[in-house]
Amino acid sequence: MKSTLMMVMAVVAMMSLTASAGTISGKVSGVAGESVVYVEAPAGKTFPAPTQQPVIDQKGLMFQPHIVVVQQGTTVQFLNSDKVAHNVFWISVGGNKKLGHNLGTWPQGEKRPFKFDNPGAVPLLCNVHPEMSGYVVVSPTPYFTQTDKSGEYKIENIPDGSYTVTAWHEGAKNQSKPVTVAGDSKADFTLSK
Amino acid sequence: MDTRHRVTLLFVFVLTFMVLTGGSYAIPAFSRQYGTSCSTCHVDFPKLNDFGKAFKDAGFKFPKDDETFIKVPPVMLGAPAQKELWPHTIFPGTIPGMPQIGLRFNQFFQYTSGNANNYYQVPLGTSPGAALSPTIPRTDFEAGFFSIFMAGNFGSDIAFWVDDDLSVSGLNANGALGDGYLRFVNLGRFFKLPTDAFTVRVGQFELDLPFTQARSINISPYDIYTEANIGSSSQNVNNQFSMQDAAQGIEFSGGHQYGGYHYSLAIVNQNTSGGATSPATNVSSPAGFFSDSNYKDIYARVSYRFNLEKDPASRHDIQAAGATGPRDHTYLSLGSFYYEGRSVQRFSSETASVLTAREPFYRVGGDFSFNYRAFNLFGLYMYGHDQDQVLNPTLSGFVPGSAAKFNGGFLEADYLALPWLMAIMRYDRVQSSGDFLNEAGSSNYYSPVGSTRDRVTPGVQFLIHANIKASFEYQFRPQQALTYDQNGKPLNPFRTNTATGALEFVY
Repeated sequence: MKSTLMMVMAVVAMMSLTASAGTISGKVSGVAGESVVYVEAPAGKTFPAPTQQPVIDQKGLMFQPHIVVVQQGTTVQFLNSDKVAHNVFWISVGGNKKLGHNLGTWPQGEKRPFKFDNPGAVPLLCNVHPEMSGYVVVSPTPYFTQTDKSGEYKIENIPDGSYTVTAWHEGAKNQSKPVTVAGDSKADFTLSK
Repeated sequence: MDTRHRVTLLFVFVLTFMVLTGGSYAIPAFSRQYGTSCSTCHVDFPKLNDFGKAFKDAGFKFPKDDETFIKVPPVMLGAPAQKELWPHTIFPGTIPGMPQIGLRFNQFFQYTSGNANNYYQVPLGTSPGAALSPTIPRTDFEAGFFSIFMAGNFGSDIAFWVDDDLSVSGLNANGALGDGYLRFVNLGRFFKLPTDAFTVRVGQFELDLPFTQARSINISPYDIYTEANIGSSSQNVNNQFSMQDAAQGIEFSGGHQYGGYHYSLAIVNQNTSGGATSPATNVSSPAGFFSDSNYKDIYARVSYRFNLEKDPASRHDIQAAGATGPRDHTYLSLGSFYYEGRSVQRFSSETASVLTAREPFYRVGGDFSFNYRAFNLFGLYMYGHDQDQVLNPTLSGFVPGSAAKFNGGFLEADYLALPWLMAIMRYDRVQSSGDFLNEAGSSNYYSPVGSTRDRVTPGVQFLIHANIKASFEYQFRPQQALTYDQNGKPLNPFRTNTATGALEFVY
């Protein structure tokens, strides 16, 4: 009887949560290709770190995928699939050069993990192949997405409320906008280099 | 020697200087093919890093899984399955999916010290109003080379290289073929030899010198590599061969440049009369043939490089695993080389229309290179010996005379202070009594005051981009003289130093 009551309460809680969740959609224009849109964390709000560990591969002298978006606190695995030596380093996180880091080098087939505890874009570089470029975009919330190639995006399951939404694109200036989520909300961005 | 002669000599020197330094290449075609930066293979192009050496050893391919790195797929000249039909079909190969063409242009600015005025004196006896030769400019802009170079791999581990100077000093068609060869890599696999133990190269190529001249980062060439052995007037030695000459022939080689052993054995045309493609000046070669005689010269080189990392995996890999990324090994390389040939000299005699002497000569030397991170110290010593053949008293043949000898070498330190900034300090030395005796008599523009000719050459180079470079070097040249006293002692010795700047780009 007690467990049944708890299940009912949980279902009601989930339904109420669902009922109060909305979406943010829109378009990022002014730039070509995929962009990243994420919701900034409300003051004092924290989110548990996910347990999934996405993999960024170094293959064919390229970071693959080129852009990975993760939630703050996520551990990313860096893999080297090439039969040449590579290196992974970044000079800043979100423009903060104090957070630059060098992962060193490791043999083919092996991974090296790194936990990203600070939000912002992380430009990945390789010091032996300067043409290699990749990005980890660290979102402070679990509410993020990558646009399609036309710039369209949709972020779902955002609790109703007021937020700041940021759009990021490689080589462009970030743009942030306040958005009130109540059901379906819209936020368009026009980025410039 | 009059002023006109001196000015002519200077321009010959400048032209020679530029020709000798004209062979430095990086390969932008590889950047296009693999979608990677010049710095993948070069530190301060064209100097190779360890990966670049491995790329070259492998026949202009990535040493492992080359096909996974190529961004422009090659064109098949036959399906791979055709191999099964051989010898009933042409063995399938490939050509690069894009023309493997790179281009290069460079230009120079040279400043000559004020002591050049020593050569501007009006010769005694010059009539008033007589036309005088132009003076040597203190400063001078010079167009350099416009060169084309092609390199790549035809599949089946057959590599190719061709480079040619389309224009020299702004003069069209004034250049020459640099290297042009096919390289059959790792033929040892057919004999179950270790990987890369046996490779064959055929064509025209720079000898496997311990430190390349054709692809050196320096503006001026190593003096010892350009040294021809010209005996004194009492000797019949006039050997124009120098180590930096391109050779035509076949080369067998093996091992790796980035660690462990390396050897090469080349059998090349004898050419003691100048450049490899220049018609003989002291021998009447048939048109179209540039070899002095049927004798073939032999060049051999052996070296061993000790990579010094403690970790065996890192030590044996192409690049060392540094804490902040792969880097060139810390290493000590030791090597030696030997060249043996015959120098052809021809004489008229009273008993025979022409007498031909083939004077045995050899060059032998040793070299070392030590590298620690961004610092590379390397040097070379060489000894040259030409057996003199003098006409016998009856003028019917030759008898041995005193040998013409020289020795010298260089020591150079390269420090890559920043990935785009290379500092260079270099010392060149050549000791040749024959040179001194000849120069003292002719008052050549750069005549030394003694048998030893040495110079110190600091330099600095900036990579503006990975394919654009600004270089500067200053040559502290040895003392020289125009006049000598009765005992042969130089009078009023002075130095004519030079500063040279260069801008070059490849694309």
